[in-house]
Amino acid sequence: MSLHDSSLKGSPTAPATMSRLALLSRLTDPRVYCALAALSLLVIIPAWSGSTFMVHVFVTICVFGALSTAWNILGGYAGQLSLGHTVFYGLGGYTAALLLTHFGLSPWIGMIGGAALAALVSLGIGYPCFRLRGPFFSLATIAFLEVVRLLAIHFNGLTGGSAGLVVPLQIGWPWMIFRDKINYLYIAFGLLVLSLAVSYAIRHSRLGYALTAVRERDSAAQAAGININGVKLWAMAISAALTALVGTFHAMYMTFLEPATLFSLATAIEIAMFALIGGLGTVAGPLLGTVLVVPLAELARGWLGASANGLHGFVYGSVLVIITLTLPGGLVGTFGPFVVRLIDRLPGGGRTRADVVAPATKIIAGTPGEVVLKAQNLVKRFGGLTATDNVSLTLKRGEILGVIGPNGAGKTTVFAQLSGFLTPNAGTIEILGPDGKWHQPSAPDAFARLGIGRTFQIVQPFGKLSVLENIMIGAFLRHRSVDDARAVALRVAKLMGLDDVKDVEAGTLPIGGLKRLEVARTLATEPSILLLDEVMAGQSQSDTLKMVELIRAIRDTGVTVIAIEHNMQAIMSLSDRIVVIDSGKVIAEGKPDAVVRERRVIEAYLGEDFVDAQGL
Amino acid sequence: MDVLIQLVLNGILLGSMYAIISVGLTLIFGIVRVVNFAHGEFLMVGMYAAYLLAAKFGLHPYASAVPVVLLLFALGALVQRFIIQPLLSADEHIQIFATVGLSTALVNLALLLFGADLYSVPPSAAQGSVMVGGFSLVKGQIVMFVCALALVAGLHLFMQSTALGRAIRATAQNRNAALLMGVKVDQIYVIAFGMGAACVGLASALVMPLYPVTPTIGTYFVLTAFVVVVLGGMRSMYGAFFGAMIIGLVDSLSGYYIAPDLKEVVYFAIFLLILIFKPTGLFGLGRGTE
Repeated sequence: MSLHDSSLKGSPTAPATMSRLALLSRLTDPRVYCALAALSLLVIIPAWSGSTFMVHVFVTICVFGALSTAWNILGGYAGQLSLGHTVFYGLGGYTAALLLTHFGLSPWIGMIGGAALAALVSLGIGYPCFRLRGPFFSLATIAFLEVVRLLAIHFNGLTGGSAGLVVPLQIGWPWMIFRDKINYLYIAFGLLVLSLAVSYAIRHSRLGYALTAVRERDSAAQAAGININGVKLWAMAISAALTALVGTFHAMYMTFLEPATLFSLATAIEIAMFALIGGLGTVAGPLLGTVLVVPLAELARGWLGASANGLHGFVYGSVLVIITLTLPGGLVGTFGPFVVRLIDRLPGGGRTRADVVAPATKIIAGTPGEVVLKAQNLVKRFGGLTATDNVSLTLKRGEILGVIGPNGAGKTTVFAQLSGFLTPNAGTIEILGPDGKWHQPSAPDAFARLGIGRTFQIVQPFGKLSVLENIMIGAFLRHRSVDDARAVALRVAKLMGLDDVKDVEAGTLPIGGLKRLEVARTLATEPSILLLDEVMAGQSQSDTLKMVELIRAIRDTGVTVIAIEHNMQAIMSLSDRIVVIDSGKVIAEGKPDAVVRERRVIEAYLGEDFVDAQGL
Repeated sequence: MDVLIQLVLNGILLGSMYAIISVGLTLIFGIVRVVNFAHGEFLMVGMYAAYLLAAKFGLHPYASAVPVVLLLFALGALVQRFIIQPLLSADEHIQIFATVGLSTALVNLALLLFGADLYSVPPSAAQGSVMVGGFSLVKGQIVMFVCALALVAGLHLFMQSTALGRAIRATAQNRNAALLMGVKVDQIYVIAFGMGAACVGLASALVMPLYPVTPTIGTYFVLTAFVVVVLGGMRSMYGAFFGAMIIGLVDSLSGYYIAPDLKEVVYFAIFLLILIFKPTGLFGLGRGTE
């Protein structure tokens, strides 16, 4: 499954290469060496202490840190709060244990099998459930967990049922069972490092940006060409596979499997809880949350024994409520930037990345004036209202088409159909692709990949991302590497006059800036047809003039522009052709100066009485 | 045939217990728009309260309904005022975590205080059965059925014909419009959450003679209540009532005809199918998950 259709990639870019030297030089970055040093403490402390109990505590930390980090890929990055993640943990455990018991296969092989099975099952759960909003997704994952747990109990011939299953005790590395507990720690630590590495790589990749975009605002993500279900499924499968790996290990560590512990709802909640306490959607957060909370529970259990039953859960729950009320960003989200600033003061720190600005895009190939989009007899009904009533439009390459009409005429509804956000009840939309063939795409992201770029009348920024990151999400449509996307985003930011605010959180921009950000994100997708929905609204007089010039400049690169606008002066001077829509119908079409004199147009705007009074 | 009728009767009576719990959950979701993951733990708190009242003061659980309902109303109101209200405009995942955290904290607090033992009230007439037309019905369940009907009827009258009921309905439909009309929305939410919890208080007093209480009893009942609420269309009290009856029937019939330990699998499967394919609920009474 590819996130974007690579055959439609606009400008080929050099693959980002990182030499070994660059990798070594990163070790002198305090952010890197501090992180590695802190991480290594997880092995050094227990190895140095030599106590079996300490080793056990640290194994538990590594296991839950890895589980929580894996969970965060789906729950944090993609914002899909799974509360049934132990399904995958249990699948990993049972797959390996059963393969070992019945076929004598090493758990290392079972681990891979479990991960593959978990990834497959996760797709089966994710595909139907991703349409559910917030809490209902969580409930559905809980329901799946319960079903799996009950089935595991029911089919006791296979799983041993509630009575449980004891792992055959063969000692040694091939069997993942050891007399010296420290070996467990090495494996647990390895799994933790693997989870962190995957999580880090995703966070700083195109997939990571796409997931954040989907979490923040799925409509704008779709407009940027992101297949929202596709990226969520990727996140879920990766997260499930990692979770299953840890599940296998943990089952071997405990040497005993029972449905109540392997498919436990309480554990599933704990995994999610650690991530929230540390900071959802951050790389370090889940581990930090685990490190802070797990030892507390384990120590209480170690010192107080059974009399403390429930104490750790009570503490977990209370901490969780307090965190939601006081630090909704979690520890990393709240204190992270401050700590990073401190760390940057260490030797070798504070290096900033040089801003590489991409060169201007090449002019779009194709014959000027050829038809690039055909919409025929579009009809869209909402209940009894026919919002689009038999509208036909053609767009020619390199033209600027203005769409005007009174409020509520149905202009935006037409735009939504031209960009795939609404499916017409009747009629067809055909787009000339870069391959020279006609396409009839069906989803917004497919429209975007074919070169349709749209802005939203009601701005749709990814509020918590920086302005530059917002634009980068558009740029990822045609560029795979983060560096390339960043360079393109910087170019577009300059073009749109947003370079001064590029590091500002997008949600804090005033409306004029947000409108320009809409255009910038769309331009970054390097569209061949640009749909602008009232981008002049909220702009100052001088910004409007700039915008008019900019749209002309964009057109001169071969882009076709279709613009809805209420700013008559601007749209009349800009457009080559005007379409007037009223009550869902096209009532006039032609050169700007001819259209404004049409009786029906004046009627639509000012009413029949006015037309009669003026004697037109 | 007799077996089938007996099972249907059992199902309906069992459903009435789920109805009371689910109506409470629906009130909270429909009005405050928060999915209360701690709803089951409210039931657990109510049951321990009823147990303590019986153990310390010899109060029959039915008589303890009054103080338990009041206690739960207060608990719900406090939770709304101090946990949910500050988070109303926060991200949805934060709201989920807040009630999930509350649920975890309450379960474990009960574990700390009472341990994992089962506690039940002294046997009473509620556990006995009566024969009606050749079918055996548990008295305590008949009481629950009557209470469930009375609760829905009472809430219907309250919502339709009192000023407060109208304000609650207005708030549920459009928070901002209600605010502009001078409805004190924050107060309405506190009342609604309290009422939702109070329903659970009623349920716990009625359930106590029939089931022993443990710290995790809430999880058992509330997952079923979520199934009911989704079945009923999320926001409709009447949908929740009929949904509960259906789940009662499914429970009773699949326990007999399929396998006792798989009956939950059956209704979770129904739950997932409804969530995914008919998010407005079985009767289309709700507005679904959107």
